[in-house]
Amino acid sequence: MEKLASLIIIIGTFLWLFSILVLEGRWQWQMFSALVLTVGIFSAHFWEELRDTDSTEDSGDE
Amino acid sequence: MARERVSQADEWQSWAQRYDIEGGIRTFESGLTVKVFVGALFVGLLMMPGSIYLSYVSGQSGAEAAPWVAVILFTELARRSFTTARRQELYMLLGLTGAAVGSGMQYRNFIWYAYFVNTPQAASYEIADKIPDWIVPAGDSVGVLTRSLMHPDWFLPIAIYLVGKLLGTLRFVSGQYILFRLTADLERLPYPMAPIAAQGATALAETTGKEETWRWRVFSIGSMAGLIWGFLYIGVPSLTGVMMSQPIQILKIPWIDFTQSIEGFAPTGVFAFRTDFGQMLIGFVMPFPIIMTEFITAMASQFILNPQILYRYEILHQWSPGLDVRGVGLFNGLDFWISYGMGKSFSLALVGMAASIPMLFKLRRSQKKAGERGSFATPPNRGDFPIWLMGLMWLVGMVGFVWLIHWMVPNFPISFLIGYAFLYTPINSYITARTFGVLGRDLFEIPYLHEITFILSRYEEVDIWFAPLPDEDYGRGTQSWRVLELTGTTFTSNLAGTLLIMPILLVSGIVVLHFIWKIAPIPSAQYPFAQMMWPINATNECLWKTSLRDGNSQMLQAIRGDYVAAGFTSSLAIYGMLWVFKLPSMWYYGIIGGIGADPGSMVTRLLGAVIGRFYMIKRFGMRRWYMFNPVLAAGFACGVGLIGMGTVAIALVSKAVIVKPF
Repeated sequence: MEKLASLIIIIGTFLWLFSILVLEGRWQWQMFSALVLTVGIFSAHFWEELRDTDSTEDSGDE
Repeated sequence: MARERVSQADEWQSWAQRYDIEGGIRTFESGLTVKVFVGALFVGLLMMPGSIYLSYVSGQSGAEAAPWVAVILFTELARRSFTTARRQELYMLLGLTGAAVGSGMQYRNFIWYAYFVNTPQAASYEIADKIPDWIVPAGDSVGVLTRSLMHPDWFLPIAIYLVGKLLGTLRFVSGQYILFRLTADLERLPYPMAPIAAQGATALAETTGKEETWRWRVFSIGSMAGLIWGFLYIGVPSLTGVMMSQPIQILKIPWIDFTQSIEGFAPTGVFAFRTDFGQMLIGFVMPFPIIMTEFITAMASQFILNPQILYRYEILHQWSPGLDVRGVGLFNGLDFWISYGMGKSFSLALVGMAASIPMLFKLRRSQKKAGERGSFATPPNRGDFPIWLMGLMWLVGMVGFVWLIHWMVPNFPISFLIGYAFLYTPINSYITARTFGVLGRDLFEIPYLHEITFILSRYEEVDIWFAPLPDEDYGRGTQSWRVLELTGTTFTSNLAGTLLIMPILLVSGIVVLHFIWKIAPIPSAQYPFAQMMWPINATNECLWKTSLRDGNSQMLQAIRGDYVAAGFTSSLAIYGMLWVFKLPSMWYYGIIGGIGADPGSMVTRLLGAVIGRFYMIKRFGMRRWYMFNPVLAAGFACGVGLIGMGTVAIALVSKAVIVKPF
């Protein structure tokens, strides 16, 4: 999940750079990149929170 | 070597632990005694005029000094009387004195709008005659022209303010309390920043023992530095202003503008060195990564991004040589940075949601599994209130507030007000309370909410811009209840103290502000900060308040979708890439704060951060240095505040003598 989130964020960032450098910074393309980045950032945080819960449970069991 | 991933919550909590000297206590006592009440009133009201005066002279009210002056006096008196001051008393004293000294500034909008209504900007944007009479009397009224808050013209604005204050107290006390019970008692959230706030009172409580501690010495060093700095920065201009038409400023207030000096190699760049060295103390306290990244980003913005990219590609097109920092800032803002900043704000909101919403899911999961997340049962003798009573108070306060707004702007759709009051406010407050409980800061904030509302409502009158909306946030205030708990102060004594002092402060605040306004027009040469900043603030306010007007709104023309999208997406990309490379999330807040900002305003803060990080920590050790910090800052603020109080006293006496015609 961590790697997937990282990949989505990197793709979103490249899309944004592409929209600025090649597509003259049109807002539609930028917002599309933002959508991809949003998915990546939310995945990253969900992974962080769920990972923490799991690790707490593990340590509690020991 | 692979870097370890640290979640945002862990990162902020570990920073907060530097200040956490002790975990708090769980026995409760009342902090409200007659000597505390009288002491708070005495010091607070004594320093209040100085605080108001300072805010117009230098932009810093120095109000934070007063509570510490009261505490120092109190502890010294206790020592000399061979008694001890309890931490509950000292915490209560801090709170009540803070309220007392800030009581004049609660009316500052009256003075601002009395100025604004007669500005050329308000006239040229055609809003001067549309400002409602419940905000300020007409520009040609006697109350405004004679600078008298005691004139009957001011009765309506003052009455509306007082009713709003009463209803606000009902809502905020109850709303904060209910959320505190939910997040601290039931969910057992740690509130990592609360121990820092509790530390001041607990630190000084021990000085009433027989032996003198390091705290007294550190406080004295801070006070002396504050006295010297306050004399040079505030005392000299204020005292010479009494005798001369143009005051002497040893260091120019509020900044020394280098914008025209750099325009040769950095056109459209700004650099105005802020001369307030008191900012160094903020640098001591704030996380170093934030200050450093903020400054580097601001430098890159003004020396590379603005001149080499945005100016070269004619995105910043209104700039012309010879403009000062205010002119360049205004044109750059209209050309690009206002739009970019809007996008940036939306990204902050989204990042906040991304951090806080998964926390809600985590709570639900752990509740199901553990089944023992704490309970609503309260610790004995904490002085709790019945939840139903608090709920009723909130309901009365909110219904009254909605009715008041409806009375002020009767044509504005009431459905929006009800939606904000009973849907948005509870959800927003709960999410903020949780982020405060976990991170010690607010992450969830929807930017430009009012503007969006006004567009959706299709309401075009200017009066709505002056009315409050019931989109409130009680989440921040939950932390103060946690601080009460940590200091062992009963909730009932705190509420009683607040309610007892309020009527006195409501009256005294307006009387003092009235007399300060009588000294000289605000802004004028007597008040250099107000004279420098208020005209540009008036222009900005006009731009905003006419932004939704059909046809010729300068602000609406300035907002461009592609630039807003650039601000939004680039900020998300920065946050995302920091996460990918496992870099601290603090960098994000530094970068976002610094991008497009004036680096000159950050130099003194940076200086403080560098001295703290590379000298003080090495000299004293990290733990001791973070123990010194709040006490040193309090001492400095105390010194500056005393100078402010002294100069305003001289100015008041001098004006009282001069204005008499016989």
